[in-house]
Amino acid sequence: MGNQSISKPELLEFIPKPSRLPAVPVDGFIGRLKKHLFSNIWNTLLTVSVFTLLFMLIKPFLDWAIFDAVWSASNRRECLNASPDGACWPGVIQWFNGLIYGRYPNDQQWRINLGFGLGILWLVPLAFKRVEQKILIALSAITLFPFLANFLFLGGSDNQFNYIVACVGLAYLLILYINIGLIYLDRKILGEYLEPLIGRFYQRRAALLGRLLCWLTVTVLLAFLFQNLTLLLVEVDSWGGLFLTLIISGFSIVMALPIGILLALGRRSHMPVFRWLSICTIELVRSVPLITVLFMSVTMLPLFFPNTMELNKLVQVLVAVCVFAGAYMAETVRGGLQGIPPGQFEAAKSVGLGYWYTMAFIILPQALRAMIPNIVTSFISLFKDTTLVSIIGLFDIMLMARNISIDKNWLGLHTEPLIAISILFFIFCYSMSQYSHRLEKKLKNK
Amino acid sequence: MSERTAIEISGLNKWFDDFHVLKDISLTILEKEIIVVCGPSGSGKSTLIRCINHLEKHQEGSISIFGEKLENDKKSADIIRTNVGMLFQNFNLFPHLTVLENCTLGPIWLSKIPEVKAIEQSIVLLDRVGIADLAAKYPGQISGGQKQRVAIARALAMEPKIMLFDEPTSALDPEMIKEVLDVMIDLAESGMTMICVTHEMQFAQQVADRVIFMAEGEIVEIGPPEQVLKNPKWDRTSQFLEHILSH
Repeated sequence: MGNQSISKPELLEFIPKPSRLPAVPVDGFIGRLKKHLFSNIWNTLLTVSVFTLLFMLIKPFLDWAIFDAVWSASNRRECLNASPDGACWPGVIQWFNGLIYGRYPNDQQWRINLGFGLGILWLVPLAFKRVEQKILIALSAITLFPFLANFLFLGGSDNQFNYIVACVGLAYLLILYINIGLIYLDRKILGEYLEPLIGRFYQRRAALLGRLLCWLTVTVLLAFLFQNLTLLLVEVDSWGGLFLTLIISGFSIVMALPIGILLALGRRSHMPVFRWLSICTIELVRSVPLITVLFMSVTMLPLFFPNTMELNKLVQVLVAVCVFAGAYMAETVRGGLQGIPPGQFEAAKSVGLGYWYTMAFIILPQALRAMIPNIVTSFISLFKDTTLVSIIGLFDIMLMARNISIDKNWLGLHTEPLIAISILFFIFCYSMSQYSHRLEKKLKNK
Repeated sequence: MSERTAIEISGLNKWFDDFHVLKDISLTILEKEIIVVCGPSGSGKSTLIRCINHLEKHQEGSISIFGEKLENDKKSADIIRTNVGMLFQNFNLFPHLTVLENCTLGPIWLSKIPEVKAIEQSIVLLDRVGIADLAAKYPGQISGGQKQRVAIARALAMEPKIMLFDEPTSALDPEMIKEVLDVMIDLAESGMTMICVTHEMQFAQQVADRVIFMAEGEIVEIGPPEQVLKNPKWDRTSQFLEHILSH
């Protein structure tokens, strides 16, 4: 078009604005207070009224919980005599052991401590930088630790299979720690010492066989070492408290993810049978309250098993909570799957990856990473939901807390135990959410 | 160019619902031949090469690759895809894997090559496309041109006999187009069978054995670049060429 017809606009003369004054530095605590809270009359008024309100709200609580509270007494009557308007903590303190371990025999409680200690030991290497194949460690923790824990917590001596798997697990843990020590000393790991020996007979896969042989040897050694160890049988009925809550929530948190992934994949599958089965499971379970699912599992699940087989309540509850959590997890995972651009599927296909490889290496890692906040939110709500099992008579931490109020010494003591377990719950849930934040940050730049 | 047939397409018809995307396409491509496909948008050129890789199913006609007929089932698709590599407009690298892992994933899990060897081979390929120093980076940390070159290395790692390019340079800044085209030219000279959907006419003139012009789902014109680009027989072709060459 004709450039000549458009006349150029006249350039305006540039007149610089006068420079702004430098910002007045705000120094110290007082300076900042003045700037943010008392900068003018209106702000001062607001600050004062908000602080008054906060004081009025918090003071009575602090008075009750700390300043007027009774810390030592032998029953509720003494508490009331000492300070009628204060909290009565001795009840909680006296029952604290029960809140944590339920009705587990006092002299056997070291088994619980040991079990959870081993569990934590198992997961600690995941934080080490130089440890490789962390997925294997996590997988072993998921598959082997439950047997070890069951062996420790339940005791008894009639379950040979459980004993052997527990030894396998313990051997794995032992080798893991010896190897970590060797790695940090820059030595070869245990299995590699056996490699030349095996290499003489069988060249291929000598590395793998070396490790397996090493594992087997340690297992056998452990099995002989603990041969005469018999732990006192503690029936599931006397498990309880925070211990039971952690077992139920831990197990269902670990199982929810794989169940959820399978259901989510099923729901997106092109095969009608899997799709409809998944949709039915998800929708059915999601439309029913957890309490109903729990009751159904206790009353209905036995119908599906032969009469001779006696299911304990814990197993029934675990099945119910896992299915329930899995259905919710499925929808979370599906959300993540939908966020993956179709180009990723096409690229994976064009490389030649089949369905399972595509899912395992390309799609799920991305989908789960994007869904970490939602997944952890589900975990947290699941952790809290497990308190519902108290309704069907499992002595979890909730029921133990309520039991305090029917103890003849502490009759009617409701508030203090609930506050105590709220604090415990807060500690667990808050650390979970903090962990997820750290995980997100760590994975962000990838 | 040898006389062996690489791809044989006959009577190919495809519909998206009611829309007839590909109309009776028949085409024979020889081994080591370089084909450039161009045409206005919506003419079905991308769909054509996506059919060859079986990312789209066709309804009528047949496609054979090295004599292997492409059926509408999963197994034949898997066989085809090991022989055919594909490049996309949006690169479609795997963002959670490093550049090197993007390349080694296929060889390790599909060709079952030991990890150490797969890494060696991939480094050689990355070196060939000029970015071996980026092996440890994630796709989010490199430029578009580099991404497309990683995608080429990833496809080459599976040792394909045929490479399909779906507008590989159209999402790139002008100064990055050249680095990708250079790699493609190098690839063409090494004797790869290539089908490129592209509007880079310079590239077509330089390396193409034949240029295909498509419009409204049909192959309007096909022939050596001099003929199609310089003396097009059809008005539609010359119109289109005028448009893209004037830029």
